[in-house]
Amino acid sequence: MLRNSELWGGLFWLLIGGFVVWAGHDMGLGRLNEPGPGFAFYWIGLLMCALSLSVIGQALVAGGPSLSMLWAGTRWPKVFIVVALLLAYGVGFEAIGFIPCTLALLLVLMWFVDPVDWRVALLVAFIATFGVWAAMTKWLKIQLPAGVLEGFLR
Amino acid sequence: MDIIAGLGQGFAVALQPINLLYCFIGVFVGTLVGVLPGIGPVSAMSLLLPVTLSGTPESGIIMMAGIYYGSMYGGSTTSILVNIPGEAASVVTCLDGHAMAKQGRAGPALGIAALGSFAAGTFALIALMLVAPALARVAIAFGPPEYFSLMVLGLTVLSFLSQGSMAKSLLMAAIGILLGLIGIDQITAQPRLTFGRLELLDGIGLVPIVMGLFGVAEILSNLEQELKREVIKARIGGLWPSLQDWSASKWAIVRGTLLGFFLGILPGGGAVIASFASYAIEKKVSKTPERFGHGAIEGVAGPEAANNAAAGGAFIPLMTLGIPPNVVMALLLGAFIIHGLQPGPLLMTQRPDLFWGIVASMYIGNAMLLVLNMPLIGMWVQVLKLPYRILFPLILMFCIVGVFASGNAVFDVFVMVVFGVLGYLMRKFGYEPAPLVLAFVLGPMLENNLRKSLILSHGDFQIFVARPISAVCLVLAGAALTAPLLPALARRRAALPLEP
Repeated sequence: MLRNSELWGGLFWLLIGGFVVWAGHDMGLGRLNEPGPGFAFYWIGLLMCALSLSVIGQALVAGGPSLSMLWAGTRWPKVFIVVALLLAYGVGFEAIGFIPCTLALLLVLMWFVDPVDWRVALLVAFIATFGVWAAMTKWLKIQLPAGVLEGFLR
Repeated sequence: MDIIAGLGQGFAVALQPINLLYCFIGVFVGTLVGVLPGIGPVSAMSLLLPVTLSGTPESGIIMMAGIYYGSMYGGSTTSILVNIPGEAASVVTCLDGHAMAKQGRAGPALGIAALGSFAAGTFALIALMLVAPALARVAIAFGPPEYFSLMVLGLTVLSFLSQGSMAKSLLMAAIGILLGLIGIDQITAQPRLTFGRLELLDGIGLVPIVMGLFGVAEILSNLEQELKREVIKARIGGLWPSLQDWSASKWAIVRGTLLGFFLGILPGGGAVIASFASYAIEKKVSKTPERFGHGAIEGVAGPEAANNAAAGGAFIPLMTLGIPPNVVMALLLGAFIIHGLQPGPLLMTQRPDLFWGIVASMYIGNAMLLVLNMPLIGMWVQVLKLPYRILFPLILMFCIVGVFASGNAVFDVFVMVVFGVLGYLMRKFGYEPAPLVLAFVLGPMLENNLRKSLILSHGDFQIFVARPISAVCLVLAGAALTAPLLPALARRRAALPLEP
């Protein structure tokens, strides 16, 4: 029962729903003829709780796949690595700059995560990074962080 | 202004060189994303939303519209040649399209898909021209209760038509409304659920949410399993269908077009449902249903016509009521808002150039698509040969750049990653993202109209049932909510395809 993924999904949303009810009440419900800023939150939170309870009830009655079954036979470590890489990219994006961060991201993805021929990876990474940089900054006039290459790209 | 004069004004706008260029870019990118598995019109439109800022509103919206109906065309190519749908509305085309390709009849399958799509797209445009002005005149009488009830109906129908548990779909719609309300309250100026973050005062951006839920989540899901694609190697020639093919397809195209158009208008309906419904009808009316799944050309012609007609029909509620019936139209609404425009009943009178310009551009775009799809099929086949392991890093890069450019903030990149993970987990746990995104867009409007209605009625909820249009919408929404309790309808609902 405790491994039932449906049950855990329902409990998660029930928790969020409960928080939203509390937050809506805290913001102020106002009166019916002049609803306050928390009015909609409060009622949506209650709706979420009711729907979550319905999901939980269904999970208890009909069961559902276990959490481990959802990831059985999949290449889940790749998912984990890509998410970590994207977060690292976000952290370094402004300080290091678009070009070094994007080159590194593309090369790591194509060399280690789902490997292709290293020469192809190098070619694709360079063309894509510098192509997008040129299109964004020169054509569309959208600034991307230059970071450590500030002096070179000016 | 009558229709002919309006259309004349529209062509004057659409035929301007810059608008022709944007239209071409739109249908080209649309066909490309339709061809490529792993990126659909929703991701592509979010990606290019910031690009629309550099042009006039009509140029940007013409391009966005082109991506949508272009992707409907392009999706069929992958379905027929690789047996992998380029986007969800072409899933059903795989069944008979790929079977035809394996029998050496890829050419007629691609040809009928393109020509059927063209015919359906043209019909949808004519119907849009005729229906939209009349509906806009009716919509002027709409007040806050009518808008509130109509949006409730849209969200309920979308949840009803979504795959899997209806409770889960409604839950996603509730989360979407909630996310849409984050930020400063429009009436009291009080920050709501901002957790002290300045970036959240203006609310969460549509682009990071959509790119996360549809772009990043799709990549994460695809990475989990090895994608195997086998492109038909035989030379693809003879795209023009034979007389026998035409004879077998003509009524399928007519039925698919009519069905698709009406399902496209329906709040919560869309191209995916239209294509599946068309396939089911064709199989039912056929004297030889056993041919379906083994290369019946009607099984390609009907659904392809239906998804294109639905794409055209979906513009009606957006243009006349200002309410998007599906996620793609929600993005188009975002493009209107970015340019300071509000689609709705007044659009046709206040900005006839824009409304008719978009309509005229769709005629031109449909013709461009026919040119792109017929002679350039060889090029699209080459694109299909690009391995996913090269494609996904590039899509990720475009997602990041698109999201950053939309708000010029790294915070949005993190939001995208968070929603990417959420979208991945939602797929795992059987929750659909479409109701969430549509509700996210409708949320602020929904709350605004609810509060206005209650202020108007001095707190009396009867205002929603006392007004006929509002009452009808709520009754229909109630019917959609209770319908799954009927066993026969519940079984039919269980067989529904995934939208968007």
